Amino acid sequence: MTQVITEQINMEALKKAIDDVFYNQIDSTILYYLQSCVNCKACEAACPFTSTSLKYSPVNKAEVARQLYRFRFTVWGRTIGRAIGGSKKYLKLEEVETMVDYVWHCTNCGACMFVCPMGIDSGALVDLLRQVAFKAGLVPSIYKEIEQLEVSGKYWEVKAFRDAWEGLISKMKSQLGKDIPLDKKSSEVLFYASIYEALVYPDVLMKVAKILDTLKVDWTFMSKPLGIRPPLGLILGDKEGAAEVMKRILDYFTDMSPKYVMLTSGGFEYPALRYTMHEVFEIKPKYEVVHVTELLAKWYEMKRFTIESVEEAITWHDPCQLGRRGGVFEAPRVLMKALSKNFKELPSHGVNSICCSRGGGGCGLPTMIEEMAKLVGITIDDKSKKFLDSTIVPLINAGKLKVDEINKVKASEVLTGCPVCIESISFAVNYYHANTQVKHIVDLLADRIKKV
Amino acid sequence: MQIPFGPYPVGLNLYPLALDLFIPTIFIFFAGASYRVTRYFATYNKPFIVYGTQVRGISQGEKIIELFNTFANSSRVGIKRKPATTAAGLLMHIVLVLIIFLLAQHMIFWAYYIPPYKILFPLALPESSADGQLAFFRGSNPYTSTPYPFVHDIWGPLTIILNGQYLTYLLLIFLAIYLAHKFSVVVERLSIRAGDWWFFVLLFIDVVLGFLATSHIPNNVFWYDNLLGAHILIAEIIIVTLPFTRGFHMFEFYLGKIREWYFMIMRRGMK
Ligand code: SF4
Ligand code: SF4
Repeated sequence: MTQVITEQINMEALKKAIDDVFYNQIDSTILYYLQSCVNCKACEAACPFTSTSLKYSPVNKAEVARQLYRFRFTVWGRTIGRAIGGSKKYLKLEEVETMVDYVWHCTNCGACMFVCPMGIDSGALVDLLRQVAFKAGLVPSIYKEIEQLEVSGKYWEVKAFRDAWEGLISKMKSQLGKDIPLDKKSSEVLFYASIYEALVYPDVLMKVAKILDTLKVDWTFMSKPLGIRPPLGLILGDKEGAAEVMKRILDYFTDMSPKYVMLTSGGFEYPALRYTMHEVFEIKPKYEVVHVTELLAKWYEMKRFTIESVEEAITWHDPCQLGRRGGVFEAPRVLMKALSKNFKELPSHGVNSICCSRGGGGCGLPTMIEEMAKLVGITIDDKSKKFLDSTIVPLINAGKLKVDEINKVKASEVLTGCPVCIESISFAVNYYHANTQVKHIVDLLADRIKKV
Repeated sequence: MQIPFGPYPVGLNLYPLALDLFIPTIFIFFAGASYRVTRYFATYNKPFIVYGTQVRGISQGEKIIELFNTFANSSRVGIKRKPATTAAGLLMHIVLVLIIFLLAQHMIFWAYYIPPYKILFPLALPESSADGQLAFFRGSNPYTSTPYPFVHDIWGPLTIILNGQYLTYLLLIFLAIYLAHKFSVVVERLSIRAGDWWFFVLLFIDVVLGFLATSHIPNNVFWYDNLLGAHILIAEIIIVTLPFTRGFHMFEFYLGKIREWYFMIMRRGMK
């Protein structure tokens, strides 16, 4: 993976990026993460990438950030620390390669924080390095081009995207046999989705529309999406780009002023649009951003509908961003238990769920990225191809852990709430010839919801 | 230099020096700790809290259970996925706490500087397992009553195992496992820091010195005083450097976990 970027390194830009990120981002939390690690390596047990190599253990990846920190913020880091390799002002060429390699071996899944006895979020430190990489122009070009399309707003000029979105809306209309509300202000639910979702699971989105219609909810959909999978900048280390995109989203949400903004995806959009966006702009929203499972669990408990259960053994995979980063664990379980008496927890679940090794920082499945690149007319050169191919290894290794757990509980269906989790776990299930299906929870739920 | 069997050499060995340096040590420790804490205050940004929990209501009871879970999760996962190092780590911490705070000799030392510490005297652990063996096999009590119940204390025959001597053996084994772990990390070319060696090597030496002094090896006053002095001096070096090394985790551990709990449970209403 490293050779891909070597020739592109502009050392001056990199130095500036390191200074920028490290001098500007120290707050008490980051300071704590940087200086309080005891190097006990307990976090190794949590990271999906350590099954590929111990060098990808959270503490080992974060050490690069700690070395840069020590030089800038500790006395010993400036003195003997330098002599014995404990601190660095900048990075040498091969160290930059290592850093970039590490950056793409972290999904910011947050598992390490819960397992660390000191509560250190190594993902947040790898994210600092990712910001350095982005500022220094070291992000794989294929990711960057897709992200820039989102930041600039030009994604809406891409015919394939428009077709996918407009096709989705017209299919929803014909499914429900009537017009669907678009950009309607002050409705109870603003049904939010991204282009990515419209491309990978249009059926799920249609089923959500069907549920909302069945339950006679006052809802509205978006006449046009707010990004490809916004804010992509957050997972690529582009804070400024992400802020621009989030501003657009914030304006739209505020303008629509629904009671709930409901997301089908529990990927990184969930904490980003629920928390980060409002924290960045310091705005307390009048609406609440929720995942579809939260709202459905609430309505189910209010007895707005019943659920016809199935016999099969089913299990739930906690998407990292919905669960660990977003705090949603209970709601899907309310629905899962109603869906089957044979609901079984995976051995590692809740805060200790094993990440599927994609999403934030691993981005999507390489095939998916390639397809998207083709759709928007981005050429995939050899370097990018090599890079994308190299991202399969962790998928195979982390996938094994997940598949072993699924086999243990003998679940015939794995339900979850994030498009990327569905793709990556399906990949592993196919790779290891496991006998199970991976679906969005709405997929199974939609036909079993009966209005009271 | 003092000859081994000469008159008792008060003031000419490491012991009085170590004692004289104890108060300055504590002073430097507090200065360092204040520096470390001040840095947190200097970089603190008041968090902007987006939501109270509207869709997910989390009760007070659940919040407390989650606080417990926050602290316990690391050990739970560790025991499952990395049993050997986690068990060694946990036991090492338990043994360390027992020895530092409950070994009878240490308790007298602490009580000298902090008199209310005396309240804990009934919990004192004896130096060797002999007391426990006497209590257990012979049912014997101390011949004369003592002002503090070091021998017939609440541990009873448990002191066969729970005593400075055996705990020290265990501690040396656990520290050796840790040091071996550090070497394996070097071999695997993973991140290792100067602070790792500093803390473990110093601790190892300190435990050995304390053990030699308490066991009177070699058995004469000169060595006893010097070994004890060196033992205290090394402990002082550790204490002085605590705020600047990983040793400070003994305080920050609580900060980190409570921050995690506050962030996830109070702010995000994790449920
Ligand atoms: S578990 Fe925490 S303290 Fe231990 S090495 Fe990992 S980050 Fe550091
Ligand atoms: S955030 Fe997840 S992927 Fe990143 S280092 Fe931590 S455990 Fe590994």
